Order: sequence, then structure tokens, then C-alpha cells
Amino acid sequence: MSILKKLGISCAFMAGLAVSAANAAETVRFWYHFDNPENPMSDLVAKFEAKNPDIKIEAENVPWNSYYDNLYTSLVGGNAPDAGMVKLFAQPRLAEMGALEPIGDRINAWPGKADLLDNLLELNKGPDGQQYYLPIQYVVLYLYYRADLFKAAGLNPPVTCEDFRTAAQKLTKAPDTYGFGLRGGKGGWDQWGTFVFSQGAELKPGGLTNPEAVAANQWVIDLFQKDKVIPPSAPNDGFQEIVAAFKAGKTAMTIHHIGSSNDLVKALGDKVSAVPAPKCGGKQWTSYGDESLAIFSSSQVKDAAWKWISFLAEGENNVAFNKATGQMTVTKSGSEHWTLHERRFVDATVQSLPFAHVLPQSTATAEFVNTAWQTSMQQALTGQITSQQMMQQLESLFAQ
Amino acid sequence: MSTLAPSAPHDLTQVRPLRSRLMPYALLAPAVLVTLFIVFFPMVQAVVTSFYDLVLWKPNASRFVGFGNYIKLLHDPVFWTSLGHTAIWIGLTVPLQMGLGLVAALLLNREFPWRGLARALVIIPWALPSVVIALMWRWIYDPTTGVLNDILLYLSIIHSTVPWLADPHLALYAVIATLTWQGFPFFAVMILAGLQGIPQSQYEAASIDGASTWRQFVHITLPGIAPVLATAGLLRIIWVANSMDVIFVMTGGGPGYATHTLPLYAFIKARQNLDFGYGTAIAVTFTILLGAIVAVYIVRTMREVER
Repeated sequence: MSILKKLGISCAFMAGLAVSAANAAETVRFWYHFDNPENPMSDLVAKFEAKNPDIKIEAENVPWNSYYDNLYTSLVGGNAPDAGMVKLFAQPRLAEMGALEPIGDRINAWPGKADLLDNLLELNKGPDGQQYYLPIQYVVLYLYYRADLFKAAGLNPPVTCEDFRTAAQKLTKAPDTYGFGLRGGKGGWDQWGTFVFSQGAELKPGGLTNPEAVAANQWVIDLFQKDKVIPPSAPNDGFQEIVAAFKAGKTAMTIHHIGSSNDLVKALGDKVSAVPAPKCGGKQWTSYGDESLAIFSSSQVKDAAWKWISFLAEGENNVAFNKATGQMTVTKSGSEHWTLHERRFVDATVQSLPFAHVLPQSTATAEFVNTAWQTSMQQALTGQITSQQMMQQLESLFAQ
Repeated sequence: MSTLAPSAPHDLTQVRPLRSRLMPYALLAPAVLVTLFIVFFPMVQAVVTSFYDLVLWKPNASRFVGFGNYIKLLHDPVFWTSLGHTAIWIGLTVPLQMGLGLVAALLLNREFPWRGLARALVIIPWALPSVVIALMWRWIYDPTTGVLNDILLYLSIIHSTVPWLADPHLALYAVIATLTWQGFPFFAVMILAGLQGIPQSQYEAASIDGASTWRQFVHITLPGIAPVLATAGLLRIIWVANSMDVIFVMTGGGPGYATHTLPLYAFIKARQNLDFGYGTAIAVTFTILLGAIVAVYIVRTMREVER
């Protein structure tokens, strides 16, 4: 009996300890998405927790393909994280759901603000003019090309879309090599934008069905259907497939950002290089790939969450963060001695900045990015609908 | 319960105390409560949701629309495409699985060395998680690095690589082939069990009467395993109809709508477009359709089996 009693007392004691420990340490649940298998998030968490012993970070790597599906449902279901990585296209929806915590005042009081690259906060402003997003990294899409194949064929890296098409045709030796690796599956809209948004297409009523936009879209479809310079698997290809095909030498060009450069250099060495996306119809367009951190309004530990996200946006921590994602730091101090990427890819990124754009901040943009673009692009590539029909389908999203 | 009451003599039921009469209900109650809570409650809620215009990221714009979602559904071309694909999906996968399973079971029922090992190995596709199978076959089908194109090219059956999953005319059938491979062991094992329940004496009697192997198969084997085929077939129809994980991982419903089935369409609408009102309307419609098919199936096959 006495043993049982002792056991009971010690159990109660332990439970009491656990409760008091939980009270002392605030737990911040944080969601992020890293493709990179070498994930240094635990190092950053350890460093932060050593500095802030009263805060515990639960960082969860959520797979990118279902990141937003999970985020929206957890927000509605009342089980949202306290803070997370977010992109601009999601901001209108999140703001409409009332899910974002304004952090403008916190940013203004934060010493790290002066170290942020110019203009980033302006670019990240919410639809109502409030500041919800704290920038954490950025990339700009550019054209990867196989320098060795271009040299062997006596070609220069393409400057215009006409050059691009000619080079793609010359470099295609089906079924072994194809000129261009198009991402026809999820997330491919930003490659497509290079060819279509540059020629006057816009995500607004009348912006996609004008003759120039339809013709530009037709030009992309023709690359696949008529010129056959794109691998036949393109309609289903996502990020993994286009990178794998480029690394294996199946494609001679593709469009992506600096995030994949280290991986490509590992496979191809000096044979891979990059230039800004080609100029189509006299204009250039490329996608500014943003990534920010936000605090969700449902959080009970907003102060602790702010400490954590601002920690990640500071100088060397931000550099460590970007080491994992392979993207570019948002801090001036970090940019000065940037050694994470080969120079030629940093140059291509910087040269692309002047014509890099984000998609308009409307709630329909999220549907365009998440599902609508890929479905209609796949239908058009496989000949089920025409270019005109594809553009009508997409424009109907932006009708309101 | 129904077996208890009539079998008990009339006078006994009257003298039995209340406690023991309530006993069966008390024993059933936990299971019924759990089922009510985790099956019926969500079902009712799904039906209610389908009458609302409920888009998750527009929480304030939610309103009652009656049969609005269902009317929209009837005018939605993607719904009809998906319905057609679902019919092909069930109509091809289940018979193919059953046929392949029957052949495998007949082979495994013969005497041969290492038979025990073969019986264990055949279950592997069934035991693997769907996502693993889907990824594996995605790579097999891959036009640039996949092994299937490699083999066909080597054998000169094709002259350029075939984008199995990127061609809208092939993608659905490619996924069906995958699911057939995954599901046939279930039939093989069930049918094997049925085969072993057929008394050997029937075959001996038939061969003495001079029946050929084929006639023995038609008149002894098939009737012997008919109940197993009917039950396993019913289970598979329901499972295959509802399964969307393999399609989702392999093609995500694409290219375009080429591999959309109704459960997948409901999932994409509700989870990716966050349109829960419309998504549940698709799901409810599909449940009613599937329920009707299953009811007809049960009535017809069970009658056949019992005859």
C-alpha cells in the first residue's frame, strides 16, 4: 500500500513539474517548407533557444505541394501554427480570412529593419496597406542553359524569344535531348509568364483574352506541339522532373531560380550557366519569388513568435536560413559577403531584378497559382482545348 | 439480436428480468455510439454543408443555397467527365483485378516447389502503401528515365518514348494498370481460400465421369468460389470507387481533367480550392450513385450465389 502511495505522490509531483515547466516556457509552433534534405533548422532553433530559454520552438517542415492546403484548413480548423513561411500570392486570402496579425509596429521598433534590403517591405505590403509580412528570402527566375552544348552548336545564350526558339530547335535531338524543360505541372506558371506576361498578358478582365496574349500563349503551346523542343512528359512535370531532366542532360535549357544552382553545379559543374530570361516582343518579364514570415492572429504567444521570426530575418541567421533554402538573403549585411552561390548565378539574379514582378494581389491569384493554371495548361498542351479557350478559362477567375 | 429473440421460447422472455433483456443493447451501445459519432454525424454534416455556399477563405460570405450546388453540378462539364472516368475506372479495374487474381490463385493452388514462398510474395503489391506504389509506377512510366519505355524501345515495340501519364488518352489506363497490379493479390488470396474449400472428391467424381479440365473448372471450381467472388467483388467495387490516393500521387487528376474521378474531383474542390460546399455536393452525389450500384449488385449477385 505504501509503495502505491509513494508512487501516486511521485506521479503527482512529476505532473506538477511538467505543468510548471510548460508554463515557464512558451511554445511557438512554426511551419516552413524546405526542399533541401540538409536541413539546418534545428541548428537555428538551438541557437535561438539558447538565447531565449523561456521560449520553445516547434518547427515543422510541411511539404510544399500541400503547404497551403494544410495551412488554410488548419487556420479554419483552429489548429493553426503561431507563425509560418508565407508567399505574397496567399496574402489577400489570408487577410480576407482575418488570419494575419499586423506587425508594422513591431517592425518599426526592430533594430534589424535598417538592415533589410531596400523596397522589400514596400513590395510585401498587405492589400489594405498594413504590414503583415516580414521578408525572409527572395529569388528571381532566370534561364539556365548548358554552356557546353551551346558552344558545341556555335550558339550564344538567347537574348530574345526568337533566339530562344532557334536555339531550342537546334539543340533538340529527340528522344535523347530536348531544347527546353517546361514545367507543365504544378508551379509552372512562372516559366509561362516569361513568354506570356512579357507580351501584354495581365491577370485582370480582358487581360488574357486579347489577341497578343492568346498569340503568345499559342507560341508556348507550339514549342511543345509543333516544334517539339519540349520533352513529351512536360504536361505532368513539376520541379523535381525539370531539374532531374536538366541534370541528366535531357534538356538544354530550363527556367528556375538560384535555389537550384548549387544542386545543378554539383551535377554539371561548369557546363551549366545562366542568363536573364529572354526578351519577348521587346519586353522582359520574370517572376519575383518572394518568401516572408507572418504571425497568425489566432496565436496566443505573439511576442514570442515575433522574437523568433525577427531572429530569422537578422544578418547571419538569415544567411544560415538561406543556406538551407539556397535562396538569397534579405539583409544588406548578408549580401555583402555572399558566398553561397557561384557568381554567375548571383549576376543573373541581380540583372533580372529590374524587370521582376509579382502577381497582382487578388484572391483569385491563389486559385490561378494553385490549380487553375496547371489544369488549363495541361489541357492546351495536350490539344484538348485551344489557346483561346485556355485564356478564357483563366480569365474567368478574374472576372469579379 | 434478431437471432436471440425468436429462438427464445415465448414464456421464457416474459420471466426474464429486465436487466438481462437490456444486456444485448448495452453491449451494442458502445459500437453504435462510436459509429454514430464518427460515421453518421460527419455524413449528416456533409449533407448539410452541401446545401451551403461555403468557401473556406471567405468565411463571412457563407450562405444557404438549397440545391444550388447540385444544380451547378448538373451543368458542370467536369462533373460529367469525371463521372465517365469513374465508370471506366471501376468497370475496368475490378474485372481486371478479379481475372488476374483468379489466374494467380489457380496457379498457386497447384503443387510446385517453393509454393509457400510464392504465396507469400504475391501479397507484396497489396501490402505496400498506395503512395509508394504510385511513386514507383510514376518512375516506371517516366518518359525520360522510366524503365517501361526503355524495355519497349529495346524490343522495338515503340520507336519514340511514350509519355504514359502526360498523354490524356493514355493516362487513365496507365493508372488503371497500376491499380490492377496493386489490387489483384487481394482477389488471389481470397480465391485461393475458396479453392481450398472445394472437396477433392468432386473433381475425382467428375474425372471418372470423363469431364474435361475445362468442364471441371466451369462446373465445379467456379460454383465453388462464386460466394467468394461475389463478396470480394463487392468490397473491391467500393474500395476502388473511393480510392483516389494512387491517382492523386501519379497525375493529380491531370493532364487537364484526363484522370479526374468523382472522389478526386470532390477532394480537389474541397481541399485545394477550399470550396467545401461544392466539394461535399460532389461527394454526396457520388455516395448516392455508388449506393445505388452496390444495392443492385447485392440483390443480383446474392440471388445468383444462393441459387
